[in-house]
Amino acid sequence: MRKGYLCFILHAHLPFVRHPEHEHFLEERWLYEAITETYIPLIEMFDELVEENIPFRLTLSVSPPLLSMLSDGLLQQRYLRHLDQLIELAEKETARTWESPFHATALMYRDRFYRARYVFTEKYRGNIINAWKKFRALGRLEIITCAATHGFLPLLITQPEAVRAQIGVAVDLFTKHFGDKPAGFWLPECAYAQGIDDILKEFDIKYFFTDTHGVMYASHRPRYGVFAPIFCPTGVAVFGRDVESSKQVWSANEGYPGDFDYREYYRDIGYDMPFDYIHPYIHPDGIRVNTGIKYYRITGKGNHKEPYDRYNALRKADIHAGNFLFNREHQIRYLNTLMDRDPVIIAPYDAELFGHWWFEGPDWLKFVLRKAHYDFPMIETITPSDYLKKYPCNQVARPCPSSWGHKGYNEVWLCHANDWIYRHLHIAAERMIELAEQYHHAGATVQRALKQAARELLLAQSSDWAFIMHTGTMVDYAIRRTKQHISNFLRLYDQIKYNHIDVGWLEDLERRNNIFPDINVSYYRKAGAPLKTAAAV
Amino acid sequence: MNIMFAWVLGVAVLVILLAVFLLLRRRETGDTTRVNAAPAREEFAEEITYFPASPPHAKPKPKLDIPEISWRYGTDRLVLMVRDPNWLFAYWEITATKQEEFNQQYGPAAWSSSRPVLRVYDITGIHFTGDNANNYTDITVSDHVDSWHIEVGRPNSTFCVDLGRIFPDGRFVTLLRSNIVQTPSIDISSLVDEEWMWIEDIYRTISRYHIGSSPMVTEQVAREMGLIPLGISSPGFAK
Repeated sequence: MRKGYLCFILHAHLPFVRHPEHEHFLEERWLYEAITETYIPLIEMFDELVEENIPFRLTLSVSPPLLSMLSDGLLQQRYLRHLDQLIELAEKETARTWESPFHATALMYRDRFYRARYVFTEKYRGNIINAWKKFRALGRLEIITCAATHGFLPLLITQPEAVRAQIGVAVDLFTKHFGDKPAGFWLPECAYAQGIDDILKEFDIKYFFTDTHGVMYASHRPRYGVFAPIFCPTGVAVFGRDVESSKQVWSANEGYPGDFDYREYYRDIGYDMPFDYIHPYIHPDGIRVNTGIKYYRITGKGNHKEPYDRYNALRKADIHAGNFLFNREHQIRYLNTLMDRDPVIIAPYDAELFGHWWFEGPDWLKFVLRKAHYDFPMIETITPSDYLKKYPCNQVARPCPSSWGHKGYNEVWLCHANDWIYRHLHIAAERMIELAEQYHHAGATVQRALKQAARELLLAQSSDWAFIMHTGTMVDYAIRRTKQHISNFLRLYDQIKYNHIDVGWLEDLERRNNIFPDINVSYYRKAGAPLKTAAAV
Repeated sequence: MNIMFAWVLGVAVLVILLAVFLLLRRRETGDTTRVNAAPAREEFAEEITYFPASPPHAKPKPKLDIPEISWRYGTDRLVLMVRDPNWLFAYWEITATKQEEFNQQYGPAAWSSSRPVLRVYDITGIHFTGDNANNYTDITVSDHVDSWHIEVGRPNSTFCVDLGRIFPDGRFVTLLRSNIVQTPSIDISSLVDEEWMWIEDIYRTISRYHIGSSPMVTEQVAREMGLIPLGISSPGFAK
């Protein structure tokens, strides 16, 4: 008998990285790796479960930059070029590892890459959004959106119009791809501040998520803790993350992904093989990068590593899936005795954790969803929309401003390494509002310049740049992107204001930073100005 | 002659008409292909199965230069932001005009004889009018900085900041006033909803099973409840 619900949310996001001006661009590999190692394995896993008729429900947040990149012709072509290189390397590897303890793993990679090629080109015609649409139509996935460029909203809300554009542009892109408006919204980094829900409400968003303390520290003590949503005074629902299920999967030390049988992420042949052998498959400038081919298991804490054994790793994933559900069942059974409704366990993760970082992650998730159906009748998977339909009456309380970043608030995105960006981001937003107010009746060229200015501003606001500056790796790229977009914005602002738009340069920007072709600039107009609806765009 | 002329004219007209017709037609088809091609490429990239080999660009790679952006925008402003329950961040810009005005008002040496101060007002629960703050703290800054991380150590409180100058006699003059911000809570609320009475045992489950990863948060909560642990750790960009 069912006693509670398990609500998985996978948040898929990568920053918008697209450089047509370079034939090979290092950071574009983020997308290629994520497609091969995360998105395709997840899709394959969903397909398998659908074929087995397992009625799982899962929520997937796809960020607008990711949607834009996955549907971009140039990046699709480049991905395939990348994959073909990888297949060539994997073929060489099967020969090289012949009769060694790595041979079985080499064959595994080769088969996976061929399979990925088939799934990508044949099955979903170069656009894996088609796969997600399919699972959505089948009622397995509830797809939601996220801020337009993953802007860290609490640090942008100094100009509410900037937040409104982050939300509105995202909702429009979602509607364009999926046909109707998203019910839910993933706040980038689960970062909430007062005022954000008012804007979500404007766009008919029904729910969002916060970290545990976002709900636990709400203005009034939430009756059910994080095991049922609360309503903001605006009526938008908030689901709080469950600590325990998060930790078991997230934590590198205590969590499943650190198990010694799982694949070691840090031993990649891109770094381990002699340069002469590997150089055609790394960056043309000779920069060593991860290829995705890794032969070792984590083995232990030290540097000594044993060969990966796929069979053992999958057996472990199966055990961990059982353990995860056992704990959830225990939790749900007890909560059910306390609550006058079925509890819901909110388990959100970055999608890229699965497959890319935790190689066996997609298998683990598959085992969880399958076992939940066959072996754990107490647990049912659910999406937030369905839970709200079941329990439409909820306590009203203001959630606590919070994020899921280190220490739980805004510090990761506002620290000594990145605090300088806000003086630029804020003034650019202010100027964008000014432009949108003054030029909404202007001619076609000015409209194009306005739209590009909005794109540049949005791209500069991506939380990824601040995050990378905080972590201290690839910092140059993050700084360059921030400055480049701000600089483009300021130049466009001047050109619009002084009525000398450089059309050639504008065209070049439109071609390069081509995110959001139908962007609705009126979101930047002061609150109260009539909003064009998505349909009118 | 006449017949001949008429005939030539007729042919000429026909040729012109044909040319115009063809031209129009061509323009039309040109337009339609353009209209159709764009969404197809974007949505499905149908050509994906027979990728044209990317043109072999042999041009030298341009060096990736970082564009410099101006630090000052010629706008007087003081912006206050929330970092966490205990810290705020403020940045500001003072224009030369503002500085001159100050000297005009308080004497030619006023700027150089005064020092810059951030006055941090705690305005929790009040409508701030400039002189009714619950209390304030002064932070001496230097003329060479234009941002500051401010430790307020007060969760769930409301703040406003003035950037001003203090004269040797202790007189404070406000130059810029910030927006108002509120620090987040680090604790379970003391407000209880009678219709939605909190279930203590649920709170216990959260504290019993997990020992927190965020010492700051757990320490605070421990006072009332035991430990509330927050698995706040996003491995995020493990690239």
